[in-house]
Amino acid sequence: MVENATPPALTEPTKLVLYVAGQTPKSLSAIENLERICAEYLPGRYRIEVVDLRKSPQLAREHNIIAIPTLVRELPTPIRKIIGDLSDSEKVLVHLKIGG
Amino acid sequence: MGQEFSQLNAELQRRLYEAEETIRAIREGEIDALVIRNRALEEEVFTLEGGPETYRAFMEAMDLGAAAFDTDGHLLYANTALVQLLGLAPDALQANSLFAKLDAGNGATVRDLLNRGKAGKSTAEITSEGRHIQVSAAPLRVGITEAVALTFTDITSRIRERASQESERAALAILASANEAVIVCDIDGRITHANAAVAAITAQNPIGKTFATAVPLKIGGLPGQHPGGEIVALAIGGTPMQGIEAFAPHAPKSKDLLISAAPLRIGGDEISGCVVTMIDLSQRKTLEQQQLLLMGELDHRVKNTLALVLSIANRTAHSEETVRGFQAAFSGRIQALAATHNILAERSWSSVRVGEVLSQEVEPFITSGENRLRVAGPDVRIRPRAAIALGLVLHELATNAVKYGALSSPVGTVAVQFTNDPASPFFSLEWREVDGPAVALPDRFGFGQTVITRSLQYSVDGGAELEYPADGVRCKMRIPRDDVVAAI
Repeated sequence: MVENATPPALTEPTKLVLYVAGQTPKSLSAIENLERICAEYLPGRYRIEVVDLRKSPQLAREHNIIAIPTLVRELPTPIRKIIGDLSDSEKVLVHLKIGG
Repeated sequence: MGQEFSQLNAELQRRLYEAEETIRAIREGEIDALVIRNRALEEEVFTLEGGPETYRAFMEAMDLGAAAFDTDGHLLYANTALVQLLGLAPDALQANSLFAKLDAGNGATVRDLLNRGKAGKSTAEITSEGRHIQVSAAPLRVGITEAVALTFTDITSRIRERASQESERAALAILASANEAVIVCDIDGRITHANAAVAAITAQNPIGKTFATAVPLKIGGLPGQHPGGEIVALAIGGTPMQGIEAFAPHAPKSKDLLISAAPLRIGGDEISGCVVTMIDLSQRKTLEQQQLLLMGELDHRVKNTLALVLSIANRTAHSEETVRGFQAAFSGRIQALAATHNILAERSWSSVRVGEVLSQEVEPFITSGENRLRVAGPDVRIRPRAAIALGLVLHELATNAVKYGALSSPVGTVAVQFTNDPASPFFSLEWREVDGPAVALPDRFGFGQTVITRSLQYSVDGGAELEYPADGVRCKMRIPRDDVVAAI
C-alpha cells in the first residue's frame, strides 16, 4: 500500500473518474453512492467524470481498469483506485483520504 | 539503486493491493462487469449478469409501468411505460426523480412496498394526478444482484367503469322505485327505459318506440296530432316542461295525467335524451268531483235544515200558548233534529239504521236500566231524508208518551214492531204503548200531531196514522221503499 507523501491541499479539488459499464446494477449503484458521498463530504470541492466503458472500452487502458465499477482518484496525486460499487462509505472515505 | 528498488517495491505493493481488491470485489459481488483484452488486443466489456438488456428488453415489452430497484433502494431501471405513466423525464434513472413525482403519502407507500417486496409479493394502491395506480412489488434477481421489481398498473378506467356501473345500477333502482311513471327517451325520442308504473298508462311494451306512439295523448291547448311527441322534442331541444295536464284515452288504468319532461344530461352539458314523468291524476280527479258533489249536497242540506227549523219554529209558536211552552217544545224538536243529524254525520250522511234513530230519540226519555222500549222485527238502513223525518216523528211520539201515555206511568212500555215486506212499497214500523193510563182522544190536535202524521208524507208511499185506543196510543209509520238502502 502506497502512503500519500504529500497530503492534499484543502483548496485542491478532488478529481474522480468513475468507470462504469452502461447501466448495469452495480454501475448505477456506484454512480448514486459516489454522488451521495461527495455531496455530503466534499461539497463544491470535487469533480466527477463518469466513463462508460461499454461505449468506449479503449479508455480502460489509461488506468488499467479490469473490474467495473472502479473509481479512480486522479487528483490529488498519487492516483488511487477503489474497486466495487462504493456501498461502504467508510471505506471510500478512507481510501480517498477524506475526513480521516 | 536503493531508490529504484524502493519505487519498484511500492509499485508492486500497489499492484498487489489492486489485485487483492479486485478479487475481493468479485467475491463480494460488488462488480458486475469486467474489461477483457481480446485477441486483437482491444478492450471489451463483459457483464457478469449476462447483459442487462435481457431484463430491460423484457420490461420494455410490458404495457405496465415497471421499475427495478436494488435492495438498497437504488433505481436500476424504469421502463418507458412507467416514465410516461408518471410523467418522468425520459432519461430519469434516479430513484429520487421517481419519488419526487409522488407526494409524501404515495412515496411512503412505495418505499414500504420496496421493503416488503424483498421478502415476497406485495401490492398497494396510490393515486397520482387523479389517476388510480396499483403498485405491486416482488423479489427479482438481476444477474448477481438482488433486486425488487415494481409494476405500476393504471386502474383508473377500471375504477371509473366500476363507479359508472354503480351509478347506472343506482339510477335504475331510483327509476324502479319511483311511484310515478317515468320514461327515458334517447336523443331520437325513442324510449330506452320505462319503470313499472308505466304499465298503468300503456298496455304495450314501450321500449324502442317513440313516446307519441307508446303513449298517445290528448292535451288541451296543444293542437298537434301528437302532442306527446312535441313535449319530448322540446325537452330534447333543451326546454323543460312541468305540470301539463293530459288525457291518455287508451291507457289501461291512469287516463288523467300530469306530465313533466326535462332534458337528460349525463356527465356533461350535452343533452343525450329526455326524462318524462307522468303522475296519475285519476284519483285526484275523482276526489275533486266527490268534493264538488259533497259541497253541493252540504249546501242543499243546510238550506233544507234551515227551512225545516224555520217551519218548526213558526208552527211551534203557533200551537204553543206560553213562551215557556214554546221554549220547551221548540228546543225539544231542534234537539231531536240534531240527534238524527249526529248519527247521520257519523255515517258520513250515507244511511242509518231505523233502530239507531229510534233509540237516539226515545232513550233520553227512559231511565237507564229500565227495559221500557221493546223492539222486534228486521231492521233496515234508510236514507238521510227518511231518517230526519222519522226522527221528528219518533220525538213527538216519545214526548207524548212521557207527558200522557205509557212512559208517564212507572210500568208502561212501548213496543215497536218493524216489518219489511220486500213486495210492499214501504218499510213499516208500528209504535204501540202498553200498560199506560187509559187513553182518551185529545181535546185538540197541536203541531205535534201534524209532525207525526205529515213528516213522512214527502212521498206517496210514506206517511203515518195515529190512533188513540183506550189501552194505548198506536202509530203506524211507513218509510218509502225508495229510501230503504238495505236490509240488515
